[in-house]
Order: sequence, then structure tokens, then C-alpha cells
Amino acid sequence: MKEKHIILILKTIGAVSLALFCLFPFAWMIIISLSGNADFLTEGDLQFTFKNYFEVITYESAHLLDYLRNSLVISLTASVSATLFAGLSAYSVSRLKFKGRILIPLLLLGISMFPQISIVGYLFEMMVNFGWINTYPALIFPYITLTLPLALWIMISYFEQVTKELDEAALADGATRLQVFYKIIIPVSLPGLATSFILSFIFCFNEFLFSLMLTIDHNARTIPVGIALFEGLHGQVPWGQIMASSVIAIIPVLFLIAFFQRYIIGGLTRGSVKG
Amino acid sequence: MIKRNTVRENIEAYLYNLPLILIVSVFILFPVLGTLITSLFRDVTFLSSKFIALENFVRLFSDEHFLHSVRFTLLFTIVSVAIELLAGLIFALVLNETLPARAFFRIALLIPWVIPIAISGRIWELLYNYDYGILNYIIISLGFANEPVSWLGTTTGAFFSIVVSDAWKTIPFMSVIILAGLSTISDELYEQSKIDGANLFIRFFKITLPLLKPVLIVALLFRTIDAIRIFDLVYVLTGGGPGGSTTSLSLYAFNYYVSGDFGYGSAVSVVVFILASLLAAFYLKTVNVNR
Amino acid sequence: MKKIITILSCCLFLFLSCTERKKEFTIWIGGAPNEITFWENVINDYRKETGITVQLVRQPTYSDQRRQALVISLQAKQPNPDLFLMDVIWIKQFVQSEWLEPLDSFINKNNFSTDIFFKRIIEQVNKINNTLYSLPVFLDVGLLYYRSDLLSKYGFDPPETWSELLNISLKIIEEEKNRNNFINGFVWQGAQYEGIVCTFNEFISSNNGSIMKDEILKINQQPNVEALTFMQDIIHKYRISPLNTFTDMKEEEVRRSFQSGNVVFERNWSYAWQLHQSDDSPVKGKTKITILPHFKDGVSSGTLGGWHVGLSRFSDFKEEAWELIKFITSYKIQKRMLMEIGWNPARTDVYDDTEAQEEIPHIDILKNSLENSDARPALSFYPQLSQIIQRFVNNCIAGRMSPEEALKNIQREGVELMRLYDD
Repeated sequence: MKEKHIILILKTIGAVSLALFCLFPFAWMIIISLSGNADFLTEGDLQFTFKNYFEVITYESAHLLDYLRNSLVISLTASVSATLFAGLSAYSVSRLKFKGRILIPLLLLGISMFPQISIVGYLFEMMVNFGWINTYPALIFPYITLTLPLALWIMISYFEQVTKELDEAALADGATRLQVFYKIIIPVSLPGLATSFILSFIFCFNEFLFSLMLTIDHNARTIPVGIALFEGLHGQVPWGQIMASSVIAIIPVLFLIAFFQRYIIGGLTRGSVKG
Repeated sequence: MIKRNTVRENIEAYLYNLPLILIVSVFILFPVLGTLITSLFRDVTFLSSKFIALENFVRLFSDEHFLHSVRFTLLFTIVSVAIELLAGLIFALVLNETLPARAFFRIALLIPWVIPIAISGRIWELLYNYDYGILNYIIISLGFANEPVSWLGTTTGAFFSIVVSDAWKTIPFMSVIILAGLSTISDELYEQSKIDGANLFIRFFKITLPLLKPVLIVALLFRTIDAIRIFDLVYVLTGGGPGGSTTSLSLYAFNYYVSGDFGYGSAVSVVVFILASLLAAFYLKTVNVNR
Repeated sequence: MKKIITILSCCLFLFLSCTERKKEFTIWIGGAPNEITFWENVINDYRKETGITVQLVRQPTYSDQRRQALVISLQAKQPNPDLFLMDVIWIKQFVQSEWLEPLDSFINKNNFSTDIFFKRIIEQVNKINNTLYSLPVFLDVGLLYYRSDLLSKYGFDPPETWSELLNISLKIIEEEKNRNNFINGFVWQGAQYEGIVCTFNEFISSNNGSIMKDEILKINQQPNVEALTFMQDIIHKYRISPLNTFTDMKEEEVRRSFQSGNVVFERNWSYAWQLHQSDDSPVKGKTKITILPHFKDGVSSGTLGGWHVGLSRFSDFKEEAWELIKFITSYKIQKRMLMEIGWNPARTDVYDDTEAQEEIPHIDILKNSLENSDARPALSFYPQLSQIIQRFVNNCIAGRMSPEEALKNIQREGVELMRLYDD
């Protein structure tokens, strides 16, 4: 009996402290974003206001909306493409017997461990030669490659669960493999596709180093870099504006985890438990 | 008949993998090769390129700043991975029961992970602020200190600050992964051992830990690799300072790239690559030994 | 099939529309907030006068971050920025990397004369291999600030030599000790960063020493040893400079220290003046400026700072950019710059302006110092050399290394560096 009570107490303390730990900086960000006076702890008072949000959205030279647009377009394109490519590849790994069947997933696993810094230096030179610096393709293609490993492993594990008899039946009816793929397998594995897409999107949205080196201004720069370098336009470090920009920046990903947390956690655990 | 099918299947399979192979080759394998080759050159923006073989590497090993970066990166890796794994494990164990408002907790756990590091870096920058950061406010109000602490202005403070910020982001994530691993352990095993008279500790060490090992090792591997290549947090929170004391290896290489010295920067990148590979190889060996 | 084709073509369209960018004439400027406001006004006036719209892009405050962004942009041959400000120590690298458009053709076409600028600066900094690559926008130089009230109280004239400064400090500390426990003689930038090289440069130049000699690194010369010994001694032996000189002292720390009223002498850039005269400053009205002292047979020398404008070789708006350069370096704008944000003009004639002279009582000293200023070595790899100098000079003044040893080490590692970057 006693053991049960101890566990219950530990459980409650643990859960509550973890939740506080996780949410505290997040809550503070929101508080400061709504404050007209960031140093209200030492002098002055809070001054609740929406001014910060208004300012960062309307100041054209802050380019916040530009950064957001860039991030959304780049992340969407990259994650859709990654899911598509990973899907094709996962299908072949799961259904066809060929030489690269074990090699390709392992290769991608290895690639996921490459330090980004070892890639970005020469990638910069390549992008200069392509003329892609400060354009969307400069980020879209590398992002696809960075998220492919996770997408691939997730898709493989989902496809493995789809019984091969479905394939057999359709093939016997005269369908080509490709038709089996997009008419049967994909509809059945929509959760897997969604998971792969969502995780890729989050990854692309949060990426920093590549964006820092391959983009220059609001034409292609993404929002993490925009906020990291945000110095404000007038006055000392404008924490209120920085926090307001941050809140705006993370609305897309917050939206995703609020509605799709099951998928996200499912995908992550598949990725690691299977591994 | 059979042969033709296999051949056709092979070609089909490769076609399916073509986009993936193509894009990975061009945008990852080729650049890595390029970095390796560049590291063997004197490649600066203001001079002509010159092949110098391993001279960049020789220079590296007598470069005090580089060696300091190595020490910092390794120390950070060991400390943060240890803390994160331990805390992640503890929290996962604690949370491994049915909880009310499960969705709420899951979302709360995901928030640190889903916020871009660059943004959480700025939030922590504000929390650590000497004059009006809330951390100083709390420790002074609660009487833990008489003066504000310079979190980001001293070497130890900055190191500590980076570890804490990184832990904030990672511990919840680790908990989620380990929780999933815990959920694969069937309750029957526990019930059986309880009947056999095993208490909490014995159950943990004889059942939980061994069965968690695969998950823990994978989590350990990925966290270690991530720690070795840390960049975002040090760039945003400390800029590598004060005085270059928190410059991770990735940041060190980056600083050379953006000063126009691609040769030396590539050499540092190659070192990071080798370190990551050694670590991965080491882990895989351990996993194989276990199996 | 049809679906896939439509999707792919949409993507392609998206790509193509995103690789195109509208052309904008851009200038990149960094700095403190009040300075940005000034530049926004300048750009607006420029538009009113010429009808040309310029995009002002604010760069980060820190010099290193500004250089990062510029290096990436220029190395990638980007059309933006068209114009940008460069720290004095980057210019050689930018020229050698072939990022700057030579200005000679514009000067010749417009009959523009560079005589109006400080000759020494144009020769040492803006002209490389006899070609003009940049023009100074505003300048800075190391100066000596002192407590005029304390000096006159004990009957001292401002020091001309370092030994005079030493004796005055010792005497005043001795006398004031009873009243003020925290009093220090001389604060200067000694932390391990670029600033310590500026200070070091001033000490050695004022003893007829130098970092380079005939374009070769020759730092372990006797005058340098003497000067560095003095730097070490004023901290540890004579104790007129505080122990945190080599750990904390950068521009702001030095300024705040002097401004708190506990210091007799300060080495700093010209920006400190306005702040010392602000209403809540304990040293308001008690501060004066003079040129830095020299060693017995040497000549006073302040290190040159300041920012210069460069035109990108990849700009699409070169003619317009030249017009803007002329505008920024015009008498009207340069005088406004001095009066509104306290930046020292690059033009010599503004220093003779009566209003300017009223605003800045020590303006003649400023002009004098600039005319005799010493630029740091113009090397394309100067930042790397600076790192080496910083480390050993700082170690020396921290008491961890003798001056001879420090200079020998700098020479050794510096020569290695020069061999690496020698063509």
C-alpha cells in the first residue's frame, strides 16, 4: 500500500514539475510579448499592450511577414517532396527484392548523422555556382535531403504493416506497381504520410545553419534566422518585439502539435524504437 | 522467365529510389567530398587557391583556440547527454502510468522541442539577462544570492547556461522516446515479479533497464551526435563567448567560413565529421556486442 | 498521372518565380539606434534631392557580425548590397578578394578631389596599389581624457610623455587616497579583443616602434619591448591601472570607470566625450581631452578607427551609388553627422567650421590626432594576425609572460601565418 502512495506522490510531483519546466520559458515569452516595458521586473510595471505585435507586423523593414512566408513556402515544398521521395523509396524497400534493399535505409541512417557544418561550406560554393544563393531552391533541396532519413524510416515501418496481399491482388488484376503504389498503398498509409510530412515540416521550419549561410535578406531568409538576428529598429534590444515576433513565428508549428501530437509522438517513437 | 522478372524488378526498384539517390548524392555526398578536398587547400577569398595537403590540419593541432573548442564541445557533450538521459529516464518512469489530461502533458512536453532553437535561444537570452532577467529576479527575491549573477558574462556561467537551455529542449524529448520504449514492456512481467516478491528497485534493474537498453542506446547515440555538432544555441545565446570560451567546433568552423577562409574552416569541419563518425562506430560496436 | 504533372508544373512555376528578384539599390549600415535614425533621414533627404530611392538595411551592431554578412554576400557575388560601410581593418581583405569597385574612374569623370580628406588616411587606408577603393565616412582615433579639476588642483599640466602621466597619476592617487579608496590612475582597453591591439599599437608607435617594418613582420624590436614593459608595469609594478584591465576593460567598461569619477586618465575613442558630458555624469564639466602621450624620444600616435564606404563590384546601380557617396561625403551631411550624432567627419574642412568648433571644444586636438593617426597593418589576413597579437599581449599584461617572450611568440606565430598566406 505504502509503495503505491509513494509512487502516486512521485508521479504527481514529477508530472507537474516537468510541465512547469517545459512551459515556463514559453509562458514568459508570451508575457513579455504583451508587455510595453520588458524590464518591468526591475523598474516600472508591465503595461499590457498589443503594440509589439502591431509594430513587428507593420514595420516593413522588419520583414517579419516576408520571413514567415519564406519559411512556410520552403518548408511546405521540402516536406511534401521529401515525403514523396521517401514514399517511393520506402515502397521499393518494403515490396521489392533488390540489391540496395538494406543498403539504402542504412545509408540514409548514416547520412542523418553527418554534421551539417561539414556539408554547408561546400554547399555554399555550389549554390554560388548555381546562382541560387538567396533563393528558395538554395534551401529547399538541402532541406529535402536532411529530412529524408527520418521520413524514409517512418514510411518503411508503416508500409511494412500494410499486408502484401493487397499488392498481390491488385497486381493480379493487371495493375502496374506504380498504380498499386498511389491507388492502394498511399490511401491506406495516410497516417504514415501525415506523420512523415509533419515531422519533416517541423524540421525544415526550425532549421538554422543552412539558412544563415545560404540566404542574405528577406528575399529568401527564413524566420529562425530573422529572429536570431533581430536587432530592432530603434531603441535598445527590443525584447517585446522579439518575443512578439517569436510568438508569431511559432504559430504554425504550435498548430501542428496541438492537433497532431499523436502522429508526432507516434512517428518519433517508431523512428527510435525500430532503430 | 524468373531471371527477366528479377532484372525488371531491380530496374524498377532503382527507379523508385532514383529521386532519393540523386538528391542525396548532389546535396549531401558531393558537398561532404568537396569539404574534404577543400580542407587540403589553402582556400581564402583574398588569395589564389593552393594545394597544401595536410598543412591546415597541422596548423589546427597547434591552434589553441581550436583545441579549446574541442575541449568545450566534448565537455558539453558529456555533461549534457548525461544530464538529459538521466533526467529523461526519471521523468519517463514517473510519467509511465495513466495520467489525466494526457494530451495536455504530451503537448507540454513537445513545446520545447518544437520551438526553433534560434528562438528558444533568444528567450533564454532574456531569462538570463543580468539586469532584468527573471532568473536573477527569482534567485535574489528568494534570497539565494545577494547580487545578480552574470549568467552569460563569465566562462562557467555561460557553460552552465548553455547546458540548461539545451536540457530544457531535450529532456522532454528524451522522456517521450523513453516512454515509448517503456510502453513496449508488458505489464505481465512486472506482475509476475511482484508476485515473486521483487521490490521497486529490483524490478527496475532486472526488468526495466535491460529491456530499455536498445531504446536508451539509440537515444544516447542520436543525442551524442547532436551534441557534438551543436551550433544554433551557441550562436544565438552566447555567440561563442565570453572571449570565445563557448565556441563549439561547428561554430569555430563557421567563423572561419564567414571570414572568407574556406580551407581552414573545411579542415575543422572534417575533424567534426571524423569525431561524429568515430562516435557512431563506437556505438554500433557496442550494440553489436550486446546482440 | 495528370495530377502529378499539374503538381510538378506548379512547383516549377513557384521555383522560377522565386529565383527572380526585383532590383533594389541597397545600402547596408550598422550601428547604434540613434545612428540608424540619422541615416534614415539622410536617405530621405537624398531621395528628395535626387528622386533616387535607397533601401537602408540595418546590420547587426557588432563589427564581426557585420563582416560575416558582408563576406557571405560578396563571396556569393550578390547584387545587394550596393554600398556598405567597412571597418578600417577589413578594407585590404575586401580589395584583395576583388569585391570592391575601384573609384578612380568616378573621381576622374566628376573632377572629384580627395584632397579634402585627411591625406595620410587616404594613402594608408583607402588607396591600395595606387587605386582608390573606398572613401572615409567617419573617423575615430584614440585620445587621452583627463580630469582637469584634479590636474589643476595639484598644479599639473596635461602630460606629454608617459612618464609624466605616470608621475601625475602616482601623485594624485597618493593625495586622494584618503578621500577615495577606489581611485585609479589610468584606465585603458586591455581585455583580449581587437581593442587591445589598438592600445598596444599606440604605446609602441609612441616609442618609434611598430608591428611591421618594410612590409615584413618585425614585432620583437627593442622599442616594442620597452613599450610593452611599460604596459605591464603600470598594472603590476606601479599599480596605476586596475587589475581587471586585462580581464574586463573594453570601450564601455573603460568609459564607465572614468565616468564614475574614480579615475584620473582614460584612453578611449571620441564617442566617450558626449556621454561624459551628459547631465547625470559625475565628471561633467571636469573632463578635458588631449593627444595621447609619447615616450621620451617618440611621437604621439593614436590608432585610427572609423568606417569607410565601399562600392560592390557586383552592384547594378554603380552610377547612383557614386552619387550617394558624394552626398554622404558632402560638407553639409558631414557637418550634420558631427552635430547630430557626434561622429567625426572625414572631411578636414568641417573641423574649421565655427559652429562645429563651438559644439566640440577640443576639435583642434581631434583634427591633430587624426592627421597623425596610425593605421593598423593593412593586411588581408589582419584579423588572424590580430588574434595572435591579442592573445600574447594580453597574457603579458596579465603578468603571465614577459614582454620579450610575448613578442617573440607573436613574431614566431605571425611569421608562420604570413608564410601561409604568402603567395
